[in-house]
Amino acid sequence: MIGRDISVLLDKELKDLWRDRKTLITTIILPLVMLPLLGIVSLALIAQQPVNVAIVDLDSTRSTDPLLNLTVDSRWLVDNLTYHLHKYGYNVLLANSTQVVSDPDVDVVVVIPEGFSRNATSLKTTAKITVYRKAGYQSAARAESTIHSIVSVFSRNLSNYKLKALSKLAGINATLSALRNPVQAYTELVTVHGVPVSIEVELRNAFARILVLALSFVVTPAASYVIDGIIGERERKTIELLLVSPAPLSHIIYAKMIAATILGIIAAIFDALGLVTYIVLASISYGANIGLIIDYKLLIIHAITAFFTILATITIALPFITRTRGIRSASNVAGIVTTVGIVFFFTGFMIDYVKLSPEILYPLYIIPYVHSILAIQTYMLGYIYRSLLHLLFLAIVSIGLLVFTTKTINSEKLLIAPP
Amino acid sequence: MVELVLIAKDLHKVYDDGTYAVKGVSFSVAEGEIYGLIGPNGAGKSTTLRMIAGLIKPTRGEVYVDGLNVFEKPVVVRKKLGYLPEEAEVYGRLTGYEHLEFYAKLYGVEDIEETVKYGVELSGLGDRIYDRTSNYSKGMRRRLLLAIVLMRKPRLALLDEPTSGLDVYGSVRVREVIKKYVRETRSAVVLSSHNMLEVEYLCDRVGFIYNGRIVVEDKPSRIIERYNVSNLEEAFVKAIEGFEKK
Ligand SMILES: Nc1ncnc2c1ncn2[C@@H]1O[C@H](COP(=O)(O)OP(=O)(O)OP(=O)(O)O)[C@@H](O)[C@H]1O
Ligand SMILES: [Mg+2]
Repeated sequence: MIGRDISVLLDKELKDLWRDRKTLITTIILPLVMLPLLGIVSLALIAQQPVNVAIVDLDSTRSTDPLLNLTVDSRWLVDNLTYHLHKYGYNVLLANSTQVVSDPDVDVVVVIPEGFSRNATSLKTTAKITVYRKAGYQSAARAESTIHSIVSVFSRNLSNYKLKALSKLAGINATLSALRNPVQAYTELVTVHGVPVSIEVELRNAFARILVLALSFVVTPAASYVIDGIIGERERKTIELLLVSPAPLSHIIYAKMIAATILGIIAAIFDALGLVTYIVLASISYGANIGLIIDYKLLIIHAITAFFTILATITIALPFITRTRGIRSASNVAGIVTTVGIVFFFTGFMIDYVKLSPEILYPLYIIPYVHSILAIQTYMLGYIYRSLLHLLFLAIVSIGLLVFTTKTINSEKLLIAPP
Repeated sequence: MVELVLIAKDLHKVYDDGTYAVKGVSFSVAEGEIYGLIGPNGAGKSTTLRMIAGLIKPTRGEVYVDGLNVFEKPVVVRKKLGYLPEEAEVYGRLTGYEHLEFYAKLYGVEDIEETVKYGVELSGLGDRIYDRTSNYSKGMRRRLLLAIVLMRKPRLALLDEPTSGLDVYGSVRVREVIKKYVRETRSAVVLSSHNMLEVEYLCDRVGFIYNGRIVVEDKPSRIIERYNVSNLEEAFVKAIEGFEKK
């Protein structure tokens, strides 16, 4: 029977893998703990970056427009900014002069110029505020956008007041939005078939994109396992006894590939779980509904995709791995293949492959990773059948390639390291 | 008539890097016979054994085991073969017992339990057989390897320096195991060694291999007689000196 020796070999591989705690810990515990931990740590760190905002009020006056019966005090804006910026965790200091811009410790400076309250109350002028932001800090950019939204709320309230006063003066009955936004655009979120969907679908798509990205984490451990399994047997001098057995070389390699893929799929599952944990933790802090984002069918598709993606990767790397001198050069070769994969998964994170025109997409079909990406992307768009087709193609290519490449390897080449 | 288990015919090996390692080695081994390959480092002993085991393809020449060509009928012949490589190692995360089980199953032996039991006995490891091999000494690992090879009672056992790395007691034990094994199974054994005492004690016939060729072949006692010396070691030195002069 053909399968018997493979199962004997696989049993040995799995026993060995199961007892290889270091490998298991790095592929299981690491993603499961590290991904959520990284998320938490980065969230925590974001909050921990002190951003110093200085407010310079060069106006400090109150103006009233008698016609509109509107009063504005520049200090009201200062109080508003101080209150909200504090609430978001920024440090606020009040300064007397624009000199403060040159202070390296200050990240953002808001300057309220002279004449602010007068210009703000007038019907002819606009009051301009200058925000100086130090280039290069993400945290400063966040503070800047907070300032802009505070200012725009302040401005809208003023505008509303002015509109109300004017319509009263004109003796007309107008709706504020008819004056402020006479033309508005609305978006209805629908599937490719036009069925209305909720916003969660967008979030789910975002999750699927992250899953595509996560594929790049699983190809690397699987590739190193295959390298260790094949070149390592030679270096640890266990290979000769195996090669002299009646089991064909191809079966010895199949067993190793299956073990590596099992390891890879374990990694894929735990990566996904790590991501889910991260999303759960993140959404707890944002108060969103997670149950709708996590789609278990998607996780299954992801696992199957991961399985064949890994198989394709290690199969492509295999002929090179078996023809190299040692673990290090084998790792270099495998590194190139996995990097190609990682680059594609990154593009899959950003590009909708489904949307590419056939002239561009069809030539790309020769790259197995494109099918990995498409399997997930088409599934997310509701094309279940196409998704399965890509999976099938991936399966045929990776298994076919495996059978072909193992035929090109002979045991003498494997036993004797190239000079 | 004695039945020949192994026939090696005019074996040559040129490695990929151009090294001409074996230059026409022919010999045969009969049932129940222990044949010793001895020669200086780099003479071509391991290369010859690897060709017989079917691990590397001879550049020229043929190998027959029980009349079957090693490269034409690999699966049948490999089951008849036991090969102990010069530098073999075991899997550190598996126990000795698991090794015996694994190889018994891999070779598809009929009675796995019986085979493994015999393997445990051959190894002489006692209860340590249930330990992971990462806890074994070098000698213990070598004995386990020998048990892996011999437990299946192969028709032809190829043992490349079976006692290398063993202490005196370990070596004596291994020699006893080999001797007893051949007596019980009537198998044929080819072994290589640098220990002339061992060869003299174990082997029915020896072949001096020098620079890829068998230059002297006979019973140890007859070789000693021919060179008019007191032991095989002296005969070996004398023979090699003779060839170095040429
Ligand atoms: N993989 C290889 N590639 C190239 N040359 C090799 C290879 N293996 C062995 N040789 C060369 O072939 C020759 C015979 O080597 P072999 O290992 O058969 O000798 P040996 O008799 O077993 O030596 P030792 O007593 O040291 O084990 C040597 O010159 C060796 O350098
Ligand atoms: Mg040798």
